[in-house]
Amino acid sequence: MLGIVLGTAGYVTISGIMLGFRVFIIDQLINNDAQVRISAREEPILADSLNEEFFPEAKHIFWLAPPSGRRDEAKIEYPQGWFDRLDRDVRVLAYSPQLTIQAIMRRANISENVRMIGCDPAKQERVTEIQKYMLEGKFSDIGQSGNRMIMGLGLMKNLGARVSESVLISVGKGNPIPFKIVGVFQVGMKTIDDSTAFAALNDVQKANLTPSQVSDIAVRLINAEDAKGLASSWSSLSQDKVQSWDQINSGTMSVFKTQDIVRNSMTLTILIVAGFGIYNILNMMVTQKRREIAILRSIGYEPKDIISLFMTQGVLLGTSGGLLGMIFGHLICRYLSTITVDSGRMIGGGGTMMISFDVMIYVFGFLLAFGSSVFASLLPARAASKLTPIDIIRSEA
Amino acid sequence: MSIETHHISKTFGHPPTTVLRNVSLTIPDNDFVSITGRSGSGKSTLLYILSTLDNATEGKIVIDGETVSAMTPQEVHRFRNQKMGFVFQFHYLLPELTALENILIPARKTKVHEAKREKALALLEKFDLKGKDHRLPSQLSGGEQQRVAIARSLIMDPQYLFADEPTGNLDSVNGDTVIKILKDLNEHENMTIIIVTHDPDYAAMAKRRIHLVDGEVVDQ
Ligand SMILES: Nc1ncnc2c1ncn2[C@@H]1O[C@H](COP(=O)(O)OP(=O)(O)OP(=O)(O)O)[C@@H](O)[C@H]1O
Ligand SMILES: [Mg+2]
Repeated sequence: MLGIVLGTAGYVTISGIMLGFRVFIIDQLINNDAQVRISAREEPILADSLNEEFFPEAKHIFWLAPPSGRRDEAKIEYPQGWFDRLDRDVRVLAYSPQLTIQAIMRRANISENVRMIGCDPAKQERVTEIQKYMLEGKFSDIGQSGNRMIMGLGLMKNLGARVSESVLISVGKGNPIPFKIVGVFQVGMKTIDDSTAFAALNDVQKANLTPSQVSDIAVRLINAEDAKGLASSWSSLSQDKVQSWDQINSGTMSVFKTQDIVRNSMTLTILIVAGFGIYNILNMMVTQKRREIAILRSIGYEPKDIISLFMTQGVLLGTSGGLLGMIFGHLICRYLSTITVDSGRMIGGGGTMMISFDVMIYVFGFLLAFGSSVFASLLPARAASKLTPIDIIRSEA
Repeated sequence: MSIETHHISKTFGHPPTTVLRNVSLTIPDNDFVSITGRSGSGKSTLLYILSTLDNATEGKIVIDGETVSAMTPQEVHRFRNQKMGFVFQFHYLLPELTALENILIPARKTKVHEAKREKALALLEKFDLKGKDHRLPSQLSGGEQQRVAIARSLIMDPQYLFADEPTGNLDSVNGDTVIKILKDLNEHENMTIIIVTHDPDYAAMAKRRIHLVDGEVVDQ
């Protein structure tokens, strides 16, 4: 009984925590980044990649030192083609062409490595919910040009900068260019908040000395579930790399899979223990109730009546234990969801832990308790039904 | 109608020990039979076979014209529920149920316990248990417990009442009451009574006496 209570409570709590966290992360992935990302394929230069260009006539070419390396810049060769296609596709809600570069950001003598994303703020806001996470300023403040940018809270802290200050951006070529900070955001994921800045697409292209280059197109779909299918069909249409949000974050997804396995095997173990508990209780009950079984049988009750009698007992135990466990687990979840976690990593709104109260957790938890009690009651109930009245009466007398 | 046994024998275990030998009996309706004999002579065994609780190793039992061994388990269960009442040395009342609920257990099997409620209360009154219908068995005396057990055996208006040493655990006053009840049922309600007893006085009150010696009927 206690086993079933604890088992169900444990299941509800653990599932609540894991799924709550997962819902939060997936929400982040779907809403704060592209659902489908089209990006330039990074093409390595192979030993024979350059044969055509240098020796179009030759049949057999032997390099003393074969060429190696990577083609200059990762860029989408023909973005307009994509724009046309995305404009036409009814499943696409919005898209935002981007140029993402690695840059070094310097303020006084502190420098940080950052990912600078150049985008059109109006388009970007339709693709992600970044505006929701602005702590200061508006996302649209970066405008179309004018070297203004917004950055993650973590990054700003690391630089020791403030809103309305300027910091220098250098991309490794040309002179460092000052960008003015016009806003701060915090999406709650350290990897983003500590190293990402947004600026106007034009400004980033200029800073990178690559006018009109686009490295990524972030796409938001009307229905996020379409992402995988669309990504693979688009991917076959072009050279460019097309990935859906769950492919981009396959690492996170596989963590979830592992979590599921851990959660399920833990639950299974608990329930097996709980099932044994019920089995033992019923076995004891059958021994204690031998006289009652005897008299019922001699009165004309059939074996199946005895089975249903004990099954009812077992299932009653199981379900009441399951219900208690669910209440218990729910209370634990309630309590957990009021705990504030270390504010450097905001988890969910308001800095509290995200706990899932999905009904399916409870339905499933109850079914598990019910199932294991049915299973555990079967053997004792059958054993009870096999007892014959005379055997019992004789052993009594 | 009647209970007949044709040359029944009963053996137990390995090596086989024979407990009943070639018993042939006819017990007509409204008979009052006492089964007597030394301890271990096979009295209980015979009673259980007569009442379908146990099977004979050899021979056949015919109750109300039907051969027991040819009946399906369901028929046997129905038979026990509708036509037979049992009283044992111990009362076997369910400790969680009140006296009234205990009496209604056989009726519950066929879902007639609501209809039988009046009858149960009448039996309680008849057995001097008026007002004790909501008591648990533990709150009743030994004699009262046994009378509740007899009431339970009568709730379905059985034709046959089997009693295995029903007075075995009672003092002589309570024992006398039980035997009086049985005699009354036999005389006024036409019931067939078969009782196993050690007490020669009680055995003498029966219309007929079956005496067993080492599993054989020596006197009837
Ligand atoms: N299941 C069994 N296995 C082996 N032997 C058994 C079994 N049941 C009964 N016996 C034996 O059969 C014999 C008769 O038993 P039974 O219970 O019929 O005696 P009884 O006349 O009722 O005795 P008592 O007056 O003590 O109740 C006894 O010797 C008993 O040991
Ligand atoms: Mg006996």
